[in-house]
This record gives sequence, C-alpha cells and structure tokens, in this order.
Amino acid sequence: MGDVREPRVTLTGLIGLAVVVSVLVVFCCMAWFAVQKLSSWMGIDLTSGGEPEDSATLVVAYSPEKAELFLELVENFNSAGHTSADGTPLRIRAVELSPQGMVDGAIGGEFQAVSPDSSFWLSQMDAAYADYIGHDDALLVTQQVRYAVSPVVIVMWRDEAEDMGWPRRPLGWSDLLERARSDPDFRWSHPSTSSAAGLLATLAEFYAGAGKTRDLTIYDVQDQYTLDYVAELERTVSYYGEGEWAVARQIAEQGRGYLDAFVGQEQLVIYLNRLGYDLVAVYPQEGTFWEDHPLALLDLNLTDIQRLTFRRFAEYITGPEAQQLVLEHGYRPADLTVDLEGEGSPFVGTDAVDPSQPQSVLQMPGGQVIEVVLDVWWYTKRPTDVFLVVDTSGSMEGEKLERVRDALTVFINGIRGDRDRVGLVEFYDYPVLRNQLSVLSPSQRLALQNTINSLEAGGGTALLDGVAMAYSLLQTNPDPERIHAIVVMTDGIENSSTLSFGELATRISQGNQTGVPVVIFAVAYGDDADYDTLERLVGITGGRVWEGTPANIRNLYQIISTYF
Amino acid sequence: MSRTRVVFFVIVGAAVLIVLIGLAAGGVFEQGPSALVPPTPPGPIEIRIVAASTIYPWVDEAASAFNSEEHIMEGQPIRVQVVPMDGLEALRRFDAQTMEIPTAWIPESRYLVELVNAVYKPQMGRDVFLTDGEYRARPIAISLLAWGVYQSRARVLEEAFGEINWQALHDAAVAQDGWPGIGGPADWGYFKLLIPSPNRNIAGLSAMISAAGEYFGRPDISVADVMDEDFQQWLYELMSAVPEFSSAGAYPGESLALFGPSGGEVGQLLESDILTHMAGAAQRWGEPLLVYYPRFVTWFDYPFTIWIGPETTAAEKNAALEFEHYLLSLEVQTRAVNYGLRPVHDQVGVDLPDSPFVEWEEYGVVTVVPRYTAMRSPSRDVLETFLTWFERNIAER
Repeated sequence: MGDVREPRVTLTGLIGLAVVVSVLVVFCCMAWFAVQKLSSWMGIDLTSGGEPEDSATLVVAYSPEKAELFLELVENFNSAGHTSADGTPLRIRAVELSPQGMVDGAIGGEFQAVSPDSSFWLSQMDAAYADYIGHDDALLVTQQVRYAVSPVVIVMWRDEAEDMGWPRRPLGWSDLLERARSDPDFRWSHPSTSSAAGLLATLAEFYAGAGKTRDLTIYDVQDQYTLDYVAELERTVSYYGEGEWAVARQIAEQGRGYLDAFVGQEQLVIYLNRLGYDLVAVYPQEGTFWEDHPLALLDLNLTDIQRLTFRRFAEYITGPEAQQLVLEHGYRPADLTVDLEGEGSPFVGTDAVDPSQPQSVLQMPGGQVIEVVLDVWWYTKRPTDVFLVVDTSGSMEGEKLERVRDALTVFINGIRGDRDRVGLVEFYDYPVLRNQLSVLSPSQRLALQNTINSLEAGGGTALLDGVAMAYSLLQTNPDPERIHAIVVMTDGIENSSTLSFGELATRISQGNQTGVPVVIFAVAYGDDADYDTLERLVGITGGRVWEGTPANIRNLYQIISTYF
Repeated sequence: MSRTRVVFFVIVGAAVLIVLIGLAAGGVFEQGPSALVPPTPPGPIEIRIVAASTIYPWVDEAASAFNSEEHIMEGQPIRVQVVPMDGLEALRRFDAQTMEIPTAWIPESRYLVELVNAVYKPQMGRDVFLTDGEYRARPIAISLLAWGVYQSRARVLEEAFGEINWQALHDAAVAQDGWPGIGGPADWGYFKLLIPSPNRNIAGLSAMISAAGEYFGRPDISVADVMDEDFQQWLYELMSAVPEFSSAGAYPGESLALFGPSGGEVGQLLESDILTHMAGAAQRWGEPLLVYYPRFVTWFDYPFTIWIGPETTAAEKNAALEFEHYLLSLEVQTRAVNYGLRPVHDQVGVDLPDSPFVEWEEYGVVTVVPRYTAMRSPSRDVLETFLTWFERNIAER
C-alpha cells in the first residue's frame, strides 16, 4: 500500500478562498441586477428570446387597388406619433393582400384588421371562422368603419364609349357584352373573382344571361341558355388578372393599345385621366356594386393596445384631414359633409365621372348562389393554353429551385377545372420540352407534378431558346378560342441561346399577327435576373414582368394563375 | 473552538452577509426613484362599456367628456372605454361565450338583456344583468323604427298606393318591371328596400317583426304566425327587394345616405339613425329623405345594464353606475337630442330650436309620436323562428 498524503487545509488558504468566492458572488449579484435593469429600460423581455414584443403594432391587410391611398394614410398616421396613455407608440403595419387572400388568412393571426374592397368579404371571413371553430354564431369581424367608397364601373376610352352612344343614352352590361361579341378587335378584361370588381362582372354576366337584375337563383345559373350566354361572352375576354389595379397600371404604362375597356372602380378613371388619358366611367344601367372599402377589426387574440390602435386609426381615417385626402385620390369620402362638387374636387369640371350615379345596384345573391356562380364560371370562362418556361441553370441550385418547385405547384393548383392545358419547358444549356400541353386531368396533374419535383439545376441560361420553343408549340395547331400564354421565369442573364433577341422578337411579332396572339408573362427571379431583357420581351405581347424573390415566388405564381 | 470551525463560521457568515447585501441592493433597485418620492396613487378604475352602434357616437362623446372631467371614486380616477357593437351581435357573442365580458352593456332594447340572462341563468343560477335594485337596467335614451324614403321615390309611392306602409312596399317589390310598373322611370331599376341584416342587427330583425304586425293587424306575433305559409310568401316577396345585407349590417343609416337611392330607396331604420344622416343624404344626392312612421311602432329603450358576475370588481361596477348617472344628467341628455335620440330625462324635450326633430319637421319628423300601437317584445322562440326562416330563405337565396 502506498503512502497517501491528506491535503492540508490552512486557515489562510480558507480565508482567501472565502474572500474570492464572496467577491465573485457579489459581482454576479451586481451584474444580474444591472442586466435586469438594463433589459427593463430597453424593453427587452429576457424570457422570450431577447426580441422586444411589439404588441402595440396593428397589422392591417389591405386590398391592392387602394395601395396608394392606404399607404399614405398609414404613413400619416404613423408619423403623427400617436401613443397610449402610458406612452406606448401606436403603429400600423400595412400588408397588401387580395380580398380572397384575406378570407383564406383571416384565422391565421398574421393580421388583426382588414380593409378589403367590399364588405362582402367580411361576411365570408365570419363564415370561414364559424366553420373553423364549429359554432354557427361565432363572429370574427367586430368593429368596422367605412372611409371611402367608389362604385364599380365599366372603364372605357372616350371614343369607344361615344361610338356606343355615351353619353346620349345610358349604357350597360348588355351593351358591353354585345360590343365584345360583335367586334373581334374589341379588347376588354375583368379581374378574376378574387376581387369585388371581378365578382361583380361575373355576376353581371349571369344576371344578363338570365335576363334579371335581382333574385338570381341556382336554377338560373345552371340553366343552359345562361351558361351558353356567359361562355360566349367569356370567349371575348382578352385575359383575366389579379385585380383592377394591375390593369390600371398596365394602361398607365402602355396607354390606348392595351385594352378598350375593363371593369374597375370609378376612382381609377380619375387616377388614369390625371396621367393624361381620356377615359370615362360607364355606370351600368342594369345595376352595379359599390366598393365600400371597410376597415374592420378581427376579434382574435387582440391586445388592448391593438384595440386602441385600431380605434385611433379608425378615428384618423374618418377624420377631416384624411377624408380630404380620400377625395383627392378620387374616392367618394364616407364623411357625407365633404362636398363632391366643392372647389378642387376631382368630380368637378369633368364629365368622365358623374357623382349623381349610379342609380341602381344589382342584387347580391346569397352565399350558395355565389358559390355555384364561381364554380360554374370555371366551366364557362375562356380556357387557356399556358406554357411554364423554367430556368434550371446552375445558379438556381439549392433553396432557389426548391422555392420554385413549391411555387409551380401552387400555380397548377390554382388552375381549376379540366379545360385549361398546361405544358412545361425547362431550359439550361438548351431548352427541353418536359411536358407537352395537356388538359389538367388528374393523371396529367400528377405527371406535371412529377416533372416539377424532378427539376435539377445545372448548366447555362438558354432563355430565348426556351421561350422560342414554347412559342412554337403554342402556335402549332392552335385553338383560337383559347387564351395563349407563356409564363417564363429566369434568375440570370441569357448566355446559351442560338437565337438572338431580335430574331425572337421578330418571330413573336409576326406570329402574333398571323397566328394566335400569345401573351408572355415573366418573373425576374433574384438580384441577377436580366430585368431589361424580360421587360422588352413581354413588351412585344402586352404582358407583364414581376420581380421575384425566394420569399415571394410562391405568392407570385399564385397571382399569375389568376390571369387564366 | 477549533480552527476548522472558525473557518466554517467565517464562510457561513460571509454567505449570509452577501445574501443580505443582495436583498438590500435588490430593494433599492426595485424601488428606484420611488424611494425618494411619495408613493404613486393606485391606477385608474377602467371600465369597458359595450354600446349599440346606433347610440355609440353619443355615449362615446359623453365618455370622452367624462374622462376629461377626472371623476374620482374612492381616490381613484375612472376611465371609460366604449366599444360599439350591435345588440344582436353581442347576443350572438354571449351565446357563443366568445364575448369579452364588459363592465356594462347598452343594447338597443331591454328584451335583449332578458335573452342574455336566459343564456346564462342555467349555468350561473342567477341573472347576469339585474332587472331590479340599484344595478338594474335603466333606459338612457329612446328611439323607434321609422321609414326614411328618398323624396322622388316617396312621391311615386304615394301616387301609386296612397300611403307608405309595409303593404305598399310589398306591392312595389312585386311590381312587374320594377319602378316603371308603378309609375316611376325605367332608370330607377327595381324597387330597392334597405333594412339591416336581421342576423346581425336588431333593427333588421325588428323590421321583419314590424312587417308581421302590420300583416296580421296586431302587435303580438307568435311562432304560429311566423310559420304561416301565406305570410312567409308575402315576407319573401318583400325581402326580395333588399339588394344586399352584407354592407348594411353595421351602419344602415350611413348606407342609406352614402349609396343613395342606388342601394336603397326606402329604409326602415331607427329614427335616430335616419335623423343623423338626413343632411348627409340631401347633400350627397341632391334630394332629401322624407320620414314616415309605421302603424305598429317598435320602440328601442337602450337600457344601461351592469354585469353582475365576478368577472368585474365592485369598484368597476360602482364606476359604471357613476357613468350611468352621468349619462342621465340634464346636460348629457340634452346632447343626446343632437344625435336624433329622444332623451329619458323629463326636463329635456326634443322641440328646442336647434333640435334635428325641429329642423326636419317639414320632412315628416314628429316631435311627439302619436299614440300608435306599440309592438310587443317577441319571445325568444319567435326571434329564433324568424332568424331561422331568414337564414334559410333570404340569406341563402
């Protein structure tokens, strides 16, 4: 057994140890108190990961057609420095969303208030909520105010309207529809049914087909004569779209040649005429709807401070300063003391809009009838042939391509019914036809989905050759009754095509004259995308470019699907 | 004592000292500046009042004045917050148990209070809103259902039917080709009636009951009446003239004025709601509204009712009572007249020179309502039968 020495504890050593421990403990206590105080002063909650909790900010989803007005109102409100009694800043964060998107997302808690284009959507939100929690009496929408209204009108170029007899005689939906049927060169559009204007235009067609202005029934909607009438009309629509604001912006950019008429709120006539155009508002004599732009609070996990923020914001937007702004933007203010015909009003000194109109609204059918209308519309609307042209060059590797796969899936899910045909061309060093145009039957959906799932990144960027391949395929034995479109997405600069831009542009310009017109929509994906080339490309066909990012690409393809 | 024990006690002593220093330091930090200044008074007594939308503007204005006057109770200031909500919506929320319990509730009518009591009594064993005693429901203002009719339309209706009543409106609703069928111009389209959504707004539900009263010629309506097939057909035809219910639920008077004859040429609404929007309608559409009163009058008494359950404190209940007294004061009752409400204070009349009742008298508004027959409050069964019929036949038409 070896010699084991016990450690020797000396008094001096123990006292030294005690002093060191004491100093450390005191230091730790002081540090703890200091951190607690600092965190309190800085408003940081140490129990929730260090991020300040912003329970005072009210997130409001607004519909796109009033972006300019709404964002200005929000900015004014936020910059005014409203606070609660204890000094907490009251702030609004605005997020743009289609009304249908609001209905779909209302119970998700991502926003606490909404301002859709029509109160109609509020009922839909209540219904969705009641369904979600399984109680018929449950209500999601609580307080609401109106701050701006504008009737839905047929927006027409003055010369077109005069040709049809305006302003000598009242015009209506039937005149528009008759013109569209009798004149193959007449180009008109209405938004998809995810907005009030689109829903109205669709309902107006069914009313006209049924020969009624009220009491539209499911029987009327499903009657063969009505269906044929609507289908014939829908064949004259140039293309659909995500909303009236998107059409207005296209007219703002492209002018007279873009469309002859479209359905939108009266305010757009004032907006576009300020840019130097000469459009008029036709108030349909059979009746119309009002976009009444409610601001409504959703009663779901609200903090007291959010309720207060809503209240202050509601007071602000219905107050005199904001109501004047509403009028300046071309809306009719909800404050009835604001004179539409007062000095400086955009309703004065013009015959393009008429504050004494409209005389009548169409009756809004009940939920079941609307559901049938929307369902039936998919079978009467103009069918589409659309090619998805997808960049799978090396730069798409990783998350970028993963997000695109998800977005393409959203797109094909957004195409309902079994009349639209979708194909897919992939391009990298050269283009490859992955899926021929085919009707989206269940088996074809699956085949297309399998292709999307199998997309791999690598190689160069033959953008122009990819578009050329899709274009040629669309012009091969085309059905003139269909909308023909290409949705191209690229994240880089053209570097591998055999065709030059000029050659492709000539081919498309000539083809659109001699064959069927093909519209090209493009997504410039990421910072390195060649936005200018895409802009020139879509410009030939009257299409549109969107700027995509991995964060918004899913939403973007969902929007693009509304064009068909 | 051994050296080891001395060391032990030194360490324990040091630890105790550190803890004491820590606690003392903590106390100083926690108290902060308050160690140097007198203690702050306790926070305000905050009360939340849910008020019917049609009375909200007046109550909210009164609450702002009340708050600025710094009313004190037991040394604490009272702060009043008012939330607008239609009585029927509140009833649905109470029913669904999704209502954030308010300190007090001001619905349009006393019978809504009774309906909520009926919901809670089985589970609570008592009323949640008292109908007698100090905290009993007391009316704070009065209004009634009336018709607001755009002047041009009123002239044609009177020409065609002699007087404006539910039967005349029904006949206008079923007229062949709409307005041209009863002597109006074609560009008016079909005849359009505005009533608030009966499943969201008690005035809408009451309008259907009022129509039933005139149809049957009596003020009390039974479930059997509502189930009468001829009546249902008649009511269906009448309600077919309503263009839509979604946007008119919250603020029907505003809808009547804001959308003009295009959205509703005749509206049966609360008299106060019509009066509030008379000037706006005339300004926006260039023609005034004319006011007519039905044969069977539906009164709304706006009872101020204090929640008796344990969800609110005694101090909050008393603060609500204080605010109720304030609403009943001469000055605040006088201001109610500006909102088209008929005050309950016996010294406040509606016939003062700047009263809207006087201002619009030549357009049909009366300062004293003639002794028409009052509709009786329907039972819950009658209300539910009406609502079910509405949901099945009109809301889903």
